[in-house]
Amino acid sequence: MKVAVYWGCKISTVQYAYEMSVRQVLPHFNIELVDLNEVSCCGGPVRSINTLAAMYLSARNLAVASMQSGADGLLVPCNECHFMLSETKYRMQNDEESQSKIEKMLNKEGLVYDSKIKIWHVVDLLHDVIKVDAIKAKVKRPFSGMKFVTHPGCQLIRPSEIGRVDNAEDPRKLDALVEALGAEILRYSENLDCCGAALLGSHRETALSLAGSKLKAVQSYDVDGFVDTCPYCHTMYDELQKEAATTVGGKFSLSVFYYTQLLGLALGIEHENLGLHLNKSLNIEKFTPE
Amino acid sequence: MSLIDLMTMAKPNKELQMKILSLLWNVDPADCFQCMRCTSGCTSLKLLELKPHEVNLLVNAGFVEELVSSDIIWACASCLKCRERCPQKASPYNIIIALRNLAVERDAKIPEVYMKAVAQILEIGFTQKPQTVTSREMQPFNREKLGLPQIRYPDDKFKAIFMKILGG
Repeated sequence: MKVAVYWGCKISTVQYAYEMSVRQVLPHFNIELVDLNEVSCCGGPVRSINTLAAMYLSARNLAVASMQSGADGLLVPCNECHFMLSETKYRMQNDEESQSKIEKMLNKEGLVYDSKIKIWHVVDLLHDVIKVDAIKAKVKRPFSGMKFVTHPGCQLIRPSEIGRVDNAEDPRKLDALVEALGAEILRYSENLDCCGAALLGSHRETALSLAGSKLKAVQSYDVDGFVDTCPYCHTMYDELQKEAATTVGGKFSLSVFYYTQLLGLALGIEHENLGLHLNKSLNIEKFTPE
Repeated sequence: MSLIDLMTMAKPNKELQMKILSLLWNVDPADCFQCMRCTSGCTSLKLLELKPHEVNLLVNAGFVEELVSSDIIWACASCLKCRERCPQKASPYNIIIALRNLAVERDAKIPEVYMKAVAQILEIGFTQKPQTVTSREMQPFNREKLGLPQIRYPDDKFKAIFMKILGG
């Protein structure tokens, strides 16, 4: 199956480990990724400035994806980008006035919007299309005896009216994907708590406290690792883990992974090819065979 | 002091209220019946004292000018819980985004980070250029060194269209 991929700003300019691990693991499940040229920001940060301009950016990326790739759908591994593109697709379907306005803007660049474009995230592509059993069948190095918690991320599961990847109040798909690797999942009450990343640029202390509170709770549960699927959440829990600890008191030593990194290890892929040397929080020795 | 206390001397502004309503789609703040389900689950309630039901209340009362010039509309973490949970589909999240758009239009003071992102998009199409990152062992890595393909940015035609939309 051919799948176009829209990486967005955060993954393609700094969260390289996510891009590397997605590129490594998907070919194992007969997914051919098609890179897109001349895409732009999804519109996430622009939304607060000018909603129409943000919609234009999202719709433009969707139009580029359907015109350039000839693929079966579009993979959007970032939760924020996935929300923005899905929200714009929903609005283009249900708001004729905005639809015709946006289409006119796109036509100026020779772009044509196709409302039928299918949008996936890593979580639903793996869980709903590839399926858990097919993942289980490929596992070479199971995480037997290890326990993880997952962080699905706000924008991946809400708002359900526009169609999201999992249940808004009780998401289970990421848990099932981790269990497929032979690990145990701990369900915990802070699962839906927000990472705070959207406030990092304007209210840094608050953002770090939000991430820190969640990490503090997880640390007390004595798990082997924390699994996320969004470059913004990952920045908060992995890269800024030490700084987050100072805002809530305590010392954290939690190993934070992208799901695709964990999957890659289970498939037997070399850890440097999964960008695991770039994770700031990781205690890699614990997860690789001697 | 809560947001409501700031309104003691304020006068409702119908014109700005209409402006906010025109910026909304599929969301009507008038449907809000103040159940406070949004506020009870708000990510920014505890640390930044954001009370989304008050934002809806003030828009309905016409105190839009006060909201637009207040820091409180920038305290939202975009977790979308209020939008998901509102029994009346009067999503405070969407109303806060509309208030932010109006704040920009009226040259109110807004967090620098948003304008920086827009400036970068105008320049290269992305919010930032590819960065050099460091590994846990403090070794520098960039896209090339990691074996990742080069990024091809959008051309000037895109920038002209984007700039025109921003200018209204």
